Amino acid sequence: MDALNFVFPNDLHVHWSMMIVLYPYLTGLVDGSFIVAALYYVFGVKSLKPISRFSLVFALAFLSCAMFPLLMHLGRPERNHNMMITPSPTSAMSGAGFIFTVAIVLIGLIVLLVYRPTLVKLRLKTKGIMNILYRVLTMDSTNLSPESLELDRKIIKFLVAIGIPVATVLHGYVGFLFGGVKANPSWSTPLMPVIFLFSACVSGISALVLAYIVIKKLSNQPVDLGCVRTCINILAGFFILAFSFEMLEVFSHSYLRTWYHHAVEGLLNGPLFYSFWVWQVGICSLLPLLLLGWLCLFKLKASMFKFFAAAVSIMLLLQVLLMRWNVVIGGQLMSKSTRGYTQFHPEWFDKEGIITVIVLMSLPFIVLFIMSKIFPLWLEEEKAPS
Amino acid sequence: MKSTYNSHIKRIVLGLVVFAVLGFVGKIVLTPKSFGKYGPYRADAIDEEANREIRHMTNASCLTCHPHEANIHLTGLHKTISCEFCHGPYADHIKDGKVYGKLPVKKKEEIKVMCLRCHNKAIQARPGEVIKTIVMPAHLEEQKVKVSHTCDQCHQVHAPLKYINRAKKIVGIKEKN
Amino acid sequence: MGKPDAELDKERRAFIKKVLNGAIAGSLLLVIPMPIGAATEEIPEQIPGIRGKKWDMSHQRFAFIVDITRCIGCGSCCVADRREFNVPDGYYRTWVERYLKDFESEVYVDSPHGGFDGYQSPRTDVEVEVRDTFFVPKLCNMCKEPPCVQVCPVGATFKTPDGFILVDPKRCVGCAYCIQACPYSARYLDPVTRTAEKCTWCYHRVRKGLLPACVNVCPTGARKFGDLNDKNSEVYKLLHEHEVLTVLKKDMGTYPALYYKGLRREVV
Repeated sequence: MDALNFVFPNDLHVHWSMMIVLYPYLTGLVDGSFIVAALYYVFGVKSLKPISRFSLVFALAFLSCAMFPLLMHLGRPERNHNMMITPSPTSAMSGAGFIFTVAIVLIGLIVLLVYRPTLVKLRLKTKGIMNILYRVLTMDSTNLSPESLELDRKIIKFLVAIGIPVATVLHGYVGFLFGGVKANPSWSTPLMPVIFLFSACVSGISALVLAYIVIKKLSNQPVDLGCVRTCINILAGFFILAFSFEMLEVFSHSYLRTWYHHAVEGLLNGPLFYSFWVWQVGICSLLPLLLLGWLCLFKLKASMFKFFAAAVSIMLLLQVLLMRWNVVIGGQLMSKSTRGYTQFHPEWFDKEGIITVIVLMSLPFIVLFIMSKIFPLWLEEEKAPS
Repeated sequence: MKSTYNSHIKRIVLGLVVFAVLGFVGKIVLTPKSFGKYGPYRADAIDEEANREIRHMTNASCLTCHPHEANIHLTGLHKTISCEFCHGPYADHIKDGKVYGKLPVKKKEEIKVMCLRCHNKAIQARPGEVIKTIVMPAHLEEQKVKVSHTCDQCHQVHAPLKYINRAKKIVGIKEKN
Repeated sequence: MGKPDAELDKERRAFIKKVLNGAIAGSLLLVIPMPIGAATEEIPEQIPGIRGKKWDMSHQRFAFIVDITRCIGCGSCCVADRREFNVPDGYYRTWVERYLKDFESEVYVDSPHGGFDGYQSPRTDVEVEVRDTFFVPKLCNMCKEPPCVQVCPVGATFKTPDGFILVDPKRCVGCAYCIQACPYSARYLDPVTRTAEKCTWCYHRVRKGLLPACVNVCPTGARKFGDLNDKNSEVYKLLHEHEVLTVLKKDMGTYPALYYKGLRREVV
């Protein structure tokens, strides 16, 4: 450490580590997949039909696991209910419990209503414990009259419509949580919720595209190319927005050159040079931008298209993870002394360590797998009136 | 029971209402009693903090039982130094009005390190009008003293100039004003 | 060094007197019960006007002033604070920084172990001619508009009506949001209790009329604490006379109640 580097004694330790990188990543995936569902159910983008149900179940699976990183991070997780019992009216974090509850109830209801015809059929076909489960999930109603289905359709549209602002707040509040910390110059910007939201959409859509292609490949079934093409077009749109805002943030500050800027510049050109400029911007943003342009503007052979769509999705998933890492952990490397940077060393077996990250990232996929046994992921019959 | 076209919706709404009611009841039951007295926090915490165990006392509390050291300490330049800084906090020594632990007394090299914490001139940031600083071993060489000497061999630690002034009087040095 | 006989006799007499005094005093202990262990009320109060009265929650105003021109970097404050609260190693409620300026106006700052060991030697990693150097003690600024209180999700850190910002260790969930929000890095997460902690200006001592531990031990008067309702207190006089008093990071809009006298422009 050179002699000019000075970190306040309490700044040596990085308090928000990998769990806090993972939490926005998970809720971002929820948001992105919900956007796809919203585009189908509210905005009527018909080409998204093949993954309309998948996107909802995907969102629900990830949302159900979204709170685990936070519980692993809290010093006193057994007191986490305090946030809902005595929330502080001025704290962005106190909204966490409420918005999560609203979101999971909402998406849960949407899934139940969208799947109701399928679930009723399955109830009538199965026996034993699955039968009881399906009875509970269908509210013990077997009424599939045109009136009930029409009512369902209207309610689904309404719920998905209010789900858009709910999903926006679900992930947007995290961005605001960072953007509202005036003590950290690399976090405090009004653009933070916007950057978080757009990159969330990018990660969610990429995850859906990747999961769709991979699952269909593993089960030897065809992929609806029109659906993937629509997803790639939307993905390109969201990514251009996300990347533009990320770069706008950096470039406008480097132009304004206010008092704290030299510390932020030192951070991006110093400890974060590789993870930000080389990986996040170079390999995982500029390269996918070119690939997306090529995929959207030119006609490709089906197999090539699928391969590069999956490749771009992987790169963008990595980009969003890196962005979360650079913001959360990177932002804490810069000491509030504005004179130095500390270091972060990820541990393997810490409660917020690498093993925990791997487990918590795998958990939603396990949940998704279990849910796929209850809620069939793909529309084999196109009979459902949604 | 035959389900009508909207039975499932009615049951969902009922479930949500029950959930909300349970939530409200839970909030009322689990909110601590003193919450909200002065603001959105548990007011009892203020008194809990106010009743925290006090571990240091003041020099006056040490000197009530150690009058010999008091007489020396209060007459010297070190009267602004806290006894507890060198010897340890009151709470490690007295519990419930009784002596329950001995506080350490520094010896030899420890004393030298302790003195240099404040009086080392090599740290230029010490303002001269606030404290006299010296450089070791130059200070000892100037006084023609063996460089292995520790500070307490010439200076009474509680009143550092006590023996120095007495020695000067004996030898007949007049203080430069 | 030869001593005149008369002086040696004097010394011997002084020595014997000392021992006898000790013996007499010691034997007295057996006869007269000495007041071992004074309760706080028996020690003279250090902040006048607090004892003997009911504590009026809403009319208290305290100020803390740090005089940079008098700090010698002894670290007594850090030691007293660590011992008073059993602060774990590596975490700091208060600390002292050392600033070094060279002739090229380059500023070197360090705070080895927060100044807990005092500053026993000059910086070995800086080989420049020192133009100017000084110490800066740091602690909780007790902001009048505290960002830490604003962001706490459960109301575990709060501003009391008497102006102190405290932490409720029974309510804190250890989310560390307050630690991120403090512009002065005054807070830390205690690894043992896994809740947030910070300097409280020794609220428990002030309530009993004693000065905060760090103020009590400061040998040069670099740390000053007092009651602003007492017009005779040193802090009142400093705040109302023509002293230049500044605060840290004024642009953050936190309105600290911690003032610095003689603060230099290099200090952040």
